[in-house]
Amino acid sequence: MTNIAEIFTYPFMQRALISGIFLAALLACLGIFVVLRRMAFFGDGIAHASLAGIALALLAGTNPLPIAIAYAIVIAVGIYLLEKKTSLSSDTIIGIFFTASMALGVVIITLQSGYQPELISFLFGNILSISGAELPLIVSGVVILLLFLLIFFKPLVQIAFDKDMAYINGVNVTFLDLAQYITLSVAVVLGVKILGIILVSALIIIPPATAKLLAGSFKGMMIISVLISELTILLGIIVSYVYDLPTGATIVLVGTAIFIFSLILSKIKK
Amino acid sequence: MPAVSVNNLTVQYGDSRILDGLTFDIVEGSITAIIGPNGSGKTTLLKALLGLISYRGDIKVFGQATKNVRHEIGYVPQRFTFDKSFPITVNEFMTLASDKKYFKKDIQFQLKEVGMWSAKDQLIGSLSGGQLQRVLIANALLNGPKIVFLDEAASGIDIKGERSFFELIKHLNEDHQVTIVFVSHEVDIVHRYATQVLCLNKKMICMGKPAEVLTTQTLQKLYDINISLYSHQNDKHS
Repeated sequence: MTNIAEIFTYPFMQRALISGIFLAALLACLGIFVVLRRMAFFGDGIAHASLAGIALALLAGTNPLPIAIAYAIVIAVGIYLLEKKTSLSSDTIIGIFFTASMALGVVIITLQSGYQPELISFLFGNILSISGAELPLIVSGVVILLLFLLIFFKPLVQIAFDKDMAYINGVNVTFLDLAQYITLSVAVVLGVKILGIILVSALIIIPPATAKLLAGSFKGMMIISVLISELTILLGIIVSYVYDLPTGATIVLVGTAIFIFSLILSKIKK
Repeated sequence: MPAVSVNNLTVQYGDSRILDGLTFDIVEGSITAIIGPNGSGKTTLLKALLGLISYRGDIKVFGQATKNVRHEIGYVPQRFTFDKSFPITVNEFMTLASDKKYFKKDIQFQLKEVGMWSAKDQLIGSLSGGQLQRVLIANALLNGPKIVFLDEAASGIDIKGERSFFELIKHLNEDHQVTIVFVSHEVDIVHRYATQVLCLNKKMICMGKPAEVLTTQTLQKLYDINISLYSHQNDKHS
């Protein structure tokens, strides 16, 4: 017990917990829309595509997070425009951007010599490696995105249910649709630092999916999703620290365990 | 002034012409049915009237472009294809579309109007097809529209539910002076409830009162099959 109390005295752990708490709330809220609009592959695609941005930044010797965010926004806008302007399905378009960006990332990485610890932390996530410079970027990014969700919550839900009905109700569907793509892509990249490119979409999907099993209303689903997301991140960080396990993978496994427990609970309740 | 005025409307996707030079008016206060076979452009016409797709020609709703009078329009889609297992109650769903100061009172009024107030705490996904369409109508009425468009809104509802659904539509039209435009493929429903009918098969085949224009010849031309018409003894419009 003393060990657990000690965890919170380390500056790197404080940064990890603060960024984790903020990101958990954001990803859980966005995850509701991802589940509602069946956009899970978008999150996964953006996360993988961000490899190219990260590799570019590492090659240029700058902080990878801003470059990865800018790259992800470009990809999100590209996906949105191709969805509108071509007859290709969303999955196909995301698949093209996803694989092309991954390939570009791999090629850029090979241009650099030697071991790349920063790259490994982005691939598999390491919340404990969040620097003092990255923390304000993550927190301010999360606050801005949460404000966007708060202000446009009702119109965004209307779009998720039926775009035509939303338009007739006076919603600016084009603007908010694009804004949601950008929001999701930025949030995914912010989450990459914790969970890594490979696992970040877990935190967008698992808490809302778990909440969907337990909630009896939309409001209830939002609250439960955020609570489960927070619990997952905090427990994941503590367990990974205590047992010296990789943070990202531990968080995902904790989330999966909560999901399985909730699934059983929901079946018993029925 | 007509509720809707359409002049030389054409919709084309690539080489395929979906609607070809339609010109017609929809009278304010009418219940207008748009009928035609599958692929005749009914839904496309509705989407054009709602400003949801691009088109050539001119469409005016209450004398203005659709986008400028969206607050005067209610819309009930053909299918509401969201994940039915998603936990959202009727009341929560209704609050999404309303930003009025006293919207709780409005929601209560509209749900009572369509007979769904007692289901306000039920999950949307647990409603029957007919109940869901009633909620969608209440939702479409929330901002006090002068015209409501329905795209085969009664499809998938059993006959009893369909009749009760259109009785509600008739009530809205007669008691609340809401102009109704609905897409249907059921001639029986059109005869029973519409005051005006537009027969469509890419081009306009007929337009007028159902009892006058829905002749055996017109229907044969419209559906391109041998078809016979039996008159309704209780048809108020015949």
